[in-house]
Amino acid sequence: MSFLPTILNGLMVGGLYGLFGLGLAFAFGIMRIVNIAHGEFIVLGAYIGASLLSVTHLPLPAVIVLVAVITFALGWALQTVMLNRMIGPNPVPAMVATMGLSIIIRNALVEYYGADIRAIDIGPLQDQGVSIFGTSIGVLPIIIFLIAVLLFVLMHILLTRTTLGRAFRAAADDFEILETLGFNRKRVYAIAMGLAVTLSAIAGLLLAIRSSYSPYSGVERLLISFEVVIIGGIGSLRGSFLAGLFLGVVQLIGLRINPNSGPLFGHLAFFLILLAKQANLPALFIRRRA
Amino acid sequence: MTLLELEHVDVFYRDLQATFDVSLTVDEGETVAIIGANGAGKSTLLRAMIGLTQCRNGRIRLAGEDVTRLRCDLLARRGVALVPEGRRLFSSLTVEENLLLAMARARKGPWTLQRVYDLFPAMKEFRSHRASDLSGGQQQMVAISRALLTNPRVLLCDELSLGLAPKVISEIYACFDGIRKEGVSIVLVEQDTVRARSASDRLYCLLKGKVRLAAKSSTVTPEAIREAYFGETRT
Repeated sequence: MSFLPTILNGLMVGGLYGLFGLGLAFAFGIMRIVNIAHGEFIVLGAYIGASLLSVTHLPLPAVIVLVAVITFALGWALQTVMLNRMIGPNPVPAMVATMGLSIIIRNALVEYYGADIRAIDIGPLQDQGVSIFGTSIGVLPIIIFLIAVLLFVLMHILLTRTTLGRAFRAAADDFEILETLGFNRKRVYAIAMGLAVTLSAIAGLLLAIRSSYSPYSGVERLLISFEVVIIGGIGSLRGSFLAGLFLGVVQLIGLRINPNSGPLFGHLAFFLILLAKQANLPALFIRRRA
Repeated sequence: MTLLELEHVDVFYRDLQATFDVSLTVDEGETVAIIGANGAGKSTLLRAMIGLTQCRNGRIRLAGEDVTRLRCDLLARRGVALVPEGRRLFSSLTVEENLLLAMARARKGPWTLQRVYDLFPAMKEFRSHRASDLSGGQQQMVAISRALLTNPRVLLCDELSLGLAPKVISEIYACFDGIRKEGVSIVLVEQDTVRARSASDRLYCLLKGKVRLAAKSSTVTPEAIREAYFGETRT
């Protein structure tokens, strides 16, 4: 019994987890906004994508682009209509507001789509496989993973090579000075939130294609996002990506060992990392000697 | 011609009134120094001039246009630039990225990347360093360049000399002749009265948020400055 396919599949889910974390970290790093509705936007991406696929019969790439545009607009609107009125030194109002929003979105999804667990069916591609290192891997997971990697690369280019990306990083450092250079803070924030929501929603759609989702999946997705951010660090694209891969692999290996464990092993691994980060092992050692 | 004009301006720092009924003018191409002790309201006044803090009473005019309620970014695009106290470079960006960001929303004008590198040749050597890795003097060069690259009509400088070695301060001030030649107006906020006086055409001295002295820098006596600065009345 080989763990290789499990690990490969874990990496491929992990790429999406990395994107979840990236979206959350993006909003927090730039605007100090903890978006509790993050998980709901991830699920919303899946529902919007599923509806588009079933209603319009467009090909998947076109649907992904459409979902990106729609969710960017949603993120923009969220920031412009609601969160820009709450920016300030105190992060709690925005947290409470997005928590309320998460409840609204979740229940709206239940009302409209029903509470049952679904999966997106995209046809024959779902069953195709290729052989890598002597094990069979689905073509779809590979494509999904490549899309995740592509999004990370695009974000890296955006942040390091463009004015908008520099403005994002500068806003995280010192938004007042950014304003004195002629940048409209609220507009920069709106674009940042649009992007944060887009990244997560696309990842949510892609995850829905290879696993299942329901209106209540958002909480679970939010938890994963937080874990990715905490393991990977806020300001680091690579950190988010690697943390996502780590959680994905641990979770799938756990599922392989015990199919009933669900996301337990991922959370357990996160807990251990949290302990290790807090423990400051050398300091413990020194204290004992003194 | 008057470029920047403050009329009876009251600015608050949180709930504390920082300036009381301050009126001052800055002419085109002129260098005006605002001096005063710690807490006299100098920095708060500068914040009001660029719109980072809204003044509660009074008017601010830029080239005759009322800009009292204008947002900071719009004021910046109309030609007000700030070299903030403590430099406040974007620390996670490189020096050149700091400068490129300033150019992104800049007005048309004489200042280009090449021109600021000519002004501070040393800056070329650390252009790819992170802003947080620079010395205070180097940071100040970048902060001034960043403000200049927006091609301002009026350049607000807050405590340029703060925390810098005297030799470095002299180098920084030496570059001001080059900046003035482009016709930009300069507002210098300083605690160092000697330097402020020698670098400016006119000066205002603030005491506890009020203008205590307004005079030509070339004719004002050190005694008059001292009196306005400390609020001493001679006995």
